[in-house]
Amino acid sequence: MTETQAPPAAEQENPLLEGIRRRRTPEPCALTIFGASGDLTQRKLFPALYALAVRHLLPERFAVVGVARTKMTTEDFVARMREAVQEHGRDEFHEETWEELAEGVRYIPTELDDDEGWDAIAACLTELDDERGTAGNRIHYLAVPPGAFEEIVENVGRRRTTSGWTRLICEKPFGHDLDGARRLNATIARHFTEEEVFRIDHYLGKETVQNMLVLRFANGIFEPIWNRQFVDHVQITVSESLGVEGRAGFYESAGAIRDIVQNHLLQLVALTAMEPPIAFDPESVRNEKVKVLRSLHTPGPKHIVRGQYGPGDIEGAEVPGYREEEGVSPDSETETYVAGKLYVDNWRWADTPFYFRTGKRLPRRETTIAIQFKRAPKPPFDAAEEGMRPNVLLLHIQPDEGVSLAVGAKVPGQGMAIRTVHMDFLYGGAFRTGLPEAYERLILDCMLGDATLFMRADEVEEQWALVDSIIATWRRDRPAFPNYPSGSWGPAAADELVHRDGRSWRRH
Amino acid sequence: MIRDATIRDVERELARLRNEQTGADVSPSLRTSVMTHMAWVPERWADAATRALGGLEERHPSRTILLYPRPDEERDELDAAVDLRCFAVGGGAGVCFEVVELALCGPRAQRPASVVAPLLVPDLPAFLRWRGDLPFGAPELEGLVGVADRLLVDSAEWDDCTAGLERLETLFDLIVVSDIAWARTEPWRYELARRWPGIAEAETLAVAGPEADARLLLGWLRARLEREIELEHDAAATLERIAVDGEPIELTRPDARTPSDLLSEQLDIFSRDPVYEEAVCSYSSVPT
Repeated sequence: MTETQAPPAAEQENPLLEGIRRRRTPEPCALTIFGASGDLTQRKLFPALYALAVRHLLPERFAVVGVARTKMTTEDFVARMREAVQEHGRDEFHEETWEELAEGVRYIPTELDDDEGWDAIAACLTELDDERGTAGNRIHYLAVPPGAFEEIVENVGRRRTTSGWTRLICEKPFGHDLDGARRLNATIARHFTEEEVFRIDHYLGKETVQNMLVLRFANGIFEPIWNRQFVDHVQITVSESLGVEGRAGFYESAGAIRDIVQNHLLQLVALTAMEPPIAFDPESVRNEKVKVLRSLHTPGPKHIVRGQYGPGDIEGAEVPGYREEEGVSPDSETETYVAGKLYVDNWRWADTPFYFRTGKRLPRRETTIAIQFKRAPKPPFDAAEEGMRPNVLLLHIQPDEGVSLAVGAKVPGQGMAIRTVHMDFLYGGAFRTGLPEAYERLILDCMLGDATLFMRADEVEEQWALVDSIIATWRRDRPAFPNYPSGSWGPAAADELVHRDGRSWRRH
Repeated sequence: MIRDATIRDVERELARLRNEQTGADVSPSLRTSVMTHMAWVPERWADAATRALGGLEERHPSRTILLYPRPDEERDELDAAVDLRCFAVGGGAGVCFEVVELALCGPRAQRPASVVAPLLVPDLPAFLRWRGDLPFGAPELEGLVGVADRLLVDSAEWDDCTAGLERLETLFDLIVVSDIAWARTEPWRYELARRWPGIAEAETLAVAGPEADARLLLGWLRARLEREIELEHDAAATLERIAVDGEPIELTRPDARTPSDLLSEQLDIFSRDPVYEEAVCSYSSVPT
């Protein structure tokens, strides 16, 4: 009998790694932020980087290069970001942590059409490879308006390093319409593979949005009733009490449909309606979302309501109408409110309406998904029917993140009076560790090369196709704006939209 | 503190505190639990236990039951203190966690299982943190192991860690065991793993740190590499240095975890750790 010899150690799997739970720590890299002097960088990106630094989640060797038109030195930029972190960060400010992060920060002022500027960026990144050991790995974060995307993508693509990996993060909105999105995707595809592109919808980075997948696919009790047989309809609300707040320039050309419906709202529809993915990986999850988006019926004009806020009261204060806001045309036809009814035309959801509404200057800020179930078929409590409402599973995306289930309960006493009570699971109550900001999760995922919570090219195009078809129907008539006062829940037509079906919007 | 308390007294007090939270003009607070967290805390460990619990309730809302054994007291009684710790969440209702402290006086110190069993939160896992030496074979340990799902120890707390580790494997078939000393070694184990495949031929391991940590690292390397390895151990309060065959191993990033963080991490784990069990079993044949 011949004795078999074990293969040399180099050819064996490392037995010492078994059972070691390593934190997800990314490889060394340099993050270039285009639009570094903008609001997003100050309010979200640097506070997120600092939060990752506090938790030791940044790569061991890391650098940030800020790029923008604004003329300032690296020292000025670092000082601004420091203030931004102190003002907007969710953690206590630690000088030592900040210094460690700031040591790797550089700033390059340049116009995007300036070749010398691009050379300076490339030289800076090469220097950082030597100084900070970032190993040629690059993330380019496009925190700029979509009009600037193509120029950046072309320049970044032409100057790609041969060593290390390169990834691209594209902020929303991704294009202005379907044609624009396709053109942008084509430009990107000339220089980057789909695996290298990370299109952000920050809603997907929210813990509560991810928790929705857990709620649906990790709990055996929901999935069997998550379909047309048990669900009467779905209501998705994304409301804001704020007005345009200095974003009139962008908002005038976007409106609520491009600002919210095209991305956040359709993502929430997709996550609510999607089939269970076979794995929680980028392709599996995104394949299922795209199937939902493809099966959405284009709503007819009767199924879409648009509105624009007029003057009114918010939290006791008088506020101007949209047309009186600074930077807004006095005869603007931009919609600040959209409500609609969508049908997901597939086996699971056929004939089940998905109502949605989003708007500015509504009474409060809230993002919720309400799954309203069909009524109990024949409750034996005749006298109590008045107090009985259908069960509603309410997913609170923000604020008060959590889940509520409305159930009927007997009112204590002699009779059989029934009242609806809410069973609440408050996310912050069960897990009081501060919820990470969406940008922390998304930036870290990109560093790790995990695109599960980002949008794929075809997903974005499907979203634009639907939105374009809605906008096309609006071109046929002139809206009578404003048609809802600030502080109300939108135009009367939005109520009629659901009343026609014998339903009503959730009471707030 | 309720002197000579019964479990009914504890339950009544918990109910009273909850009702107090639900006044006519205030939003009711939510009671939230993801587990029952029991801690066996002999007197010398009381301060350390309190420190480790700091902030833990916020990360792992639970019904916490602190058991203080006082076997030397003559009276056969139970003293209890019940607290509802509430935290404001957002602008609305608060969230409350229950903390029950029980002093087990006289013979009661040997029968803690029947004391805690009626207080366990149904359908949720029960974790037992055992402070100090594990009294193998003692009724109090056997009883609590019978009602808990997971036993958390820190073998570095044991007066005789050699004997403790040798006997620990007798518990593996009774309950899932995790060891905070083992968790402490994790960053070092990762660094050692990065030395693969060169480390496959290692002959000596030098450790400056707690004896338990050193023994566990040795047991792990022996079991994983399937070879005899010699240990050179220098006692130190924390894991300070490791070398393999004279080559120092450095942590690429300092381990900033506090005792509370380490405990918190363990409370997130539910399954058996076969690599740890293997390290402990392998250890029993390590020459001392």
